[in-house]
Amino acid sequence: MHIPDGFLSPQTYLPAWGLAAGAWAWAGRGLAARLDERLVPRLAMLTGLAYALGLVMLPLPGGTSGHALGVALLALVFGVRLAFLAYSGVLGLQALLFGAGGITALAVNALAIGLLGGAVAVGLYRLLRRFGEDLAAAVAAFVSLQASALVVALVLGLQPSIARRADGTPLFFPLGPEITVPAVLLPHLLIGVGEAALTVLVWRIARRKGWVGP
Amino acid sequence: MNRARRWLFAYVAAVVGIGFVHDPGALAALLGAALAGAGPARWRLLRRAAAALLLFNLSVSLAYALVAAGQGRPLAEVLLTMNLRVLLLVFLGFWLVDRVRLLDALAGWPLARLVATLAIGQIGVYRRLLDDGRMAFRSRCPHPGAVDLARQAGAQGGALFDKSLQGAEQVAQAMRSRGAFDA
Repeated sequence: MHIPDGFLSPQTYLPAWGLAAGAWAWAGRGLAARLDERLVPRLAMLTGLAYALGLVMLPLPGGTSGHALGVALLALVFGVRLAFLAYSGVLGLQALLFGAGGITALAVNALAIGLLGGAVAVGLYRLLRRFGEDLAAAVAAFVSLQASALVVALVLGLQPSIARRADGTPLFFPLGPEITVPAVLLPHLLIGVGEAALTVLVWRIARRKGWVGP
Repeated sequence: MNRARRWLFAYVAAVVGIGFVHDPGALAALLGAALAGAGPARWRLLRRAAAALLLFNLSVSLAYALVAAGQGRPLAEVLLTMNLRVLLLVFLGFWLVDRVRLLDALAGWPLARLVATLAIGQIGVYRRLLDDGRMAFRSRCPHPGAVDLARQAGAQGGALFDKSLQGAEQVAQAMRSRGAFDA
């Protein structure tokens, strides 16, 4: 669901880059000590999966695209910090190699999808796991996708209010939240079901193979 | 500062600067300048950029056209500005990747380079595996039905995990031998 280049105003993406820089520094702290030849292959594999999922996308009139993310899976297996870093790398490569997403929008995308999505997934999973691991993983994946989609839709929908000419003509993304929110959220309700199923499937494999945790 | 880093900084400066240009004529001139600067690769890069954003921008442009028509808002200038800006930004990104090795540009940032190395390595693994699987399936089953496709997708999904893990282990061992995990 990432936002492409050219849709966000500098008033939006420059502060977001500042915020993301702090978040990346926080996520990268102590990372070198955690990474070893056991963790890195698993991280690379699931990061590659997230990358592949992000490329099978459906353009949405709300200014973004619909696709599964794999962020909840990354966050459940490796924690929020690693998921955020890994997904930020995925977004950067998708932007530069395929023109999917963008460099100006990278920080907003990373914060909304990688950080918020990962945090919602881990928080919900911890809250719900007493009702069953699979159910908790499924709900966590579904809700985290919706949370990210909502933030992306709101950021896009606010652009006509943030950056416009004196006569009200929008300078960047031209559609308001009354269009972006339903246009982005409704397809993601369906995509979320697929995301939840995929997350549970891979989560089971990850637990069986002992990939979970550092 | 190496050449790749200078390109990266120039790209970032251009991308930020373009965000402050709102005149379609100026954006078209900048696109023309970028095309001229890109040399013989220009049309290949332009085709890639146009293909990357075509469906996406078309859906947004149509949605805005409907809204603007219904509410009497200005149409042509908004759409021209938005689409030219997006095309220019995507073109510059492709031009950057065409001109420099991304990992060289990230040489001064070990964490970014590590993440990029892992992701680029896995992209190659996934692409190879998918191509191999697709060609093998096509040779075995020239006219697949829905059941064949589902069975193939399931088998390929399982194989992807095992083989990509194996590929990533090789990358990790190569990184270990080069001191990537030394504190």
